[in-house]
Amino acid sequence: MARRLKAAAGKRGPPAKRGPPAALLGPPSSEDEADEAPEQVSFGVAKEAAETQRKLVGEAARRHRELLKEKRRRRQELFAEQKKRKLLPEAVLQELTAAPPAGTDGQTAAATPGKCHGGDAPKQRKGKIQRQGQAQRRVKKDKQRKRGARSKGNYTAVCLKEHGLTGLHQQLAKDFLNTHLYGPDTNRVQANEFFSLENKKNPVKKAAVQFVDKSWGQEKKQRAARFKKRWLATQMKNRV
Amino acid sequence: MGEFEVHRVRFFGLVPAGVRCLACQPRGARLALARTDGAVEIYNCSANYFQEKVIPGHETRSVEALCWAAGERLFGAGLSGDITEYDLAGLRVARSLHGSGGPIWSMAANSSGTQLAVGCEDGSVKLFQVIPGGIQFERNLDRRKGRILCLSWHPSGTHIAAGSIDIFRVLDVSSGQTVQRVMVNYHVQKVKRECVVWSIAFLSSGTVVTSDSFGRVQFWDWERGTLQESHTVSTSSALSLAVSEKEDSIIVGTSTGATYQFQLLPVRMGSLEKRWVRTKPFQHHTHDVRAVAHSSTALISGGLDAQLVIRPLMEKVQKKSYDAALRKFTFPHRRLVSCARKARLLLFQFSQHLELWRLGSTDETGKDGEVLPLRRMPEHLVQLKSKGPEHIYCSCVSPCGSWVAYSTASRFHLYRVQHKGDSVSIKKVPKVPKLLLPAYQLQFSANSSSLFVASSRGSVHVLQLLEPGGCRHLHTLRPPSESPEAVYLLAASADGHWLAAVGGDWMIHIYNLKCSKHHCTVPTYSCAVTALAVHPLTNNLVIAYSDQQLFEFSIPEKQYTAWSRTVQSCGLHTVWLERDSPITHITFNPKNPSHILLHDTYMFCVLDKSLPLPDNSALLMNQSTLKQLPETARQRQLHAFKICKKFQPLLFADLLDEKCLVMVERPIMDIKTQLPLPVQQKKFGT
Repeated sequence: MARRLKAAAGKRGPPAKRGPPAALLGPPSSEDEADEAPEQVSFGVAKEAAETQRKLVGEAARRHRELLKEKRRRRQELFAEQKKRKLLPEAVLQELTAAPPAGTDGQTAAATPGKCHGGDAPKQRKGKIQRQGQAQRRVKKDKQRKRGARSKGNYTAVCLKEHGLTGLHQQLAKDFLNTHLYGPDTNRVQANEFFSLENKKNPVKKAAVQFVDKSWGQEKKQRAARFKKRWLATQMKNRV
Repeated sequence: MGEFEVHRVRFFGLVPAGVRCLACQPRGARLALARTDGAVEIYNCSANYFQEKVIPGHETRSVEALCWAAGERLFGAGLSGDITEYDLAGLRVARSLHGSGGPIWSMAANSSGTQLAVGCEDGSVKLFQVIPGGIQFERNLDRRKGRILCLSWHPSGTHIAAGSIDIFRVLDVSSGQTVQRVMVNYHVQKVKRECVVWSIAFLSSGTVVTSDSFGRVQFWDWERGTLQESHTVSTSSALSLAVSEKEDSIIVGTSTGATYQFQLLPVRMGSLEKRWVRTKPFQHHTHDVRAVAHSSTALISGGLDAQLVIRPLMEKVQKKSYDAALRKFTFPHRRLVSCARKARLLLFQFSQHLELWRLGSTDETGKDGEVLPLRRMPEHLVQLKSKGPEHIYCSCVSPCGSWVAYSTASRFHLYRVQHKGDSVSIKKVPKVPKLLLPAYQLQFSANSSSLFVASSRGSVHVLQLLEPGGCRHLHTLRPPSESPEAVYLLAASADGHWLAAVGGDWMIHIYNLKCSKHHCTVPTYSCAVTALAVHPLTNNLVIAYSDQQLFEFSIPEKQYTAWSRTVQSCGLHTVWLERDSPITHITFNPKNPSHILLHDTYMFCVLDKSLPLPDNSALLMNQSTLKQLPETARQRQLHAFKICKKFQPLLFADLLDEKCLVMVERPIMDIKTQLPLPVQQKKFGT
């Protein structure tokens, strides 16, 4: 059987690489065993067989791709859903963007002591996502508070300084300083190299300033110290 | 001198912050200095450059510019965008105003001190008026793109020169418009990098001096917008420049640590035409020199290697005395280490945490100069991190080692330390009495039963410490005359009877603790007090002043002692008076009542009052010569000052018991290897 299969494969040539020839796709029981010569299949039939084979494989690949696409789409939807879930329903937000009455303002301020960030929640809808998130959290807290009874009475509402933008500006400024003072063009050198030059140029040569770096084998030393402590403790316990 | 076993401590890992800004008080004798961690220090130039005031920093505070305005008021501005006024009497931030232009890079006051100009990140120059209660925003001058890195007023106050990246602008103050815009970088061959104008100065002749990141100092005619002179002083950036008041001398600081002096000199002898010439180069620093100042007699530079260098100009100094010597300050002029003698503990004060160490011990003895092997290593017992962004003002450990206290600008903490065998447990004392903070100095009494807290307006609070861990405010001691200055030094007597307190007005008040009343005031002296201590047996107050004078005042008799009068009439040795650093700690040996032990950064001295005082012809540091002399010759040459210079730089020295000394050193190289990277200096043959 194996010999026949091999011969059949050889006869067919390249199209047969795709898969077993059409003749073999059929039920093997139809063929007689042993003595019969291999079946004579015409070129056209073989071509058709090859075509169907290719189509099948193509279909399989397409199905696989579709499957992946489907998966990806489902994932995106899930993310969008989660994102939407984080935000409050549009209706509530629209309500808030419209002129909030003084009463609600006072309530939101009072209900979130220390969480106020120097701006109104509605205005920050256009701002960064974190600010938005914080604003939503603030309003959510407010809603929760409204539902339950006010448990604590003694608190003071404080308005903290706006940190978001100033921190960014400060970081940019510090980065500017760093690039211009310690950036690639500035020809800086390690402290060891800088200070050891004298030691090496002296008539009496001395070792470099940081000849031994204390950070070598740091972890090993720490592990050894911990082991020593534990061992000593057990020794004391055993002795006692 | 006696034989002592010396605990040589080098595990205090203090790394002082680099110097960022310097400002000379225009018509005064004070120098303000700001460090990279936000700390502000005031040095008194007439009191031998003593660091008389320190305002500790803050984690979020960065000071990029410092200036004096309206005489005595000090303003600072930084990358947080705030303009802060410092309360120099109360040693804290008085008020701060947010200049809404983003981070502030530069600030300058006009010559009359009535207006402040502030250069911001967004390219605007804002004008503020200095009013009695603070500052008030006046208006914005013309805003262009590009951060304003440096500012300078014209001495007449009509124009401001503002340096930016690749350009500098001249603005007219009255109209607010930019009247000239000059590009700085068209002379450089490969203009791949941008040219940052790091500092600028406006001279009254109409010349604008700029220093930029290509290491050039350039002189411009601002009206025509032309370059008059260009000097390349360095291959790395020229970071700072300062002009003298007479406008004939400029000091420039560079990234390599070198500073240069430019002088306006006539072209030929007797010629009227003058040119700026680079005269003197100095290499005092190893790291970037980001701050320079020019006083009337000296060139002052501060680098990121935390050193402040004052170089007097020879031609300005009247006589060839110690005034003409180079002064270098690296370490603070106050104690950062406290010692619990009986428990052999050391408390190290860092800017944001404290470390408690136990000293090691040895069983061996040896000869002079021998290093003894340790039987027990020094142990790091506790590390206390200060909560919050504020830096620590002061800290102290009690002599018995069971109480630790420290104070920041708005909090005061007291801890109880329990010693259980070898280990230590620390517990915070919960209800601390509400005092007006900050505490400027803390001192435990000798029997560890009370804590003295130095406060503002010359007052000292006395807190009683209760077992097992509590604290109660007993009373507040106030001086007879009201003073706005805060107390910065305290000394308590060993018997718990007397307390001496020194305020910022340099008056020493002595209080009787038994009846909680003011006892007397030490006669005023023209200099700041750097250290004081009360003798355990005789109750004499030993005072060290910043001009290196020593006095001994008898508290029960309310007058100077006879020995002190002898010292004053004979005068101290010139080598003693010409020391660079002030004495920061005085202590006594209970077994030898005539001994006084004192130290400064570079020497440790045992003063024996029973021996004769040296006159100027004798050698002051004669310990090494005395060792080699035979006994009879030694007796003839002995004098009171026994000085040891083996341990330096010394941060702290104390006597643990009659045979044991502890010396806390901080080698300068250990600091320098932990600083930001220096610029490579190409040396021939390497």
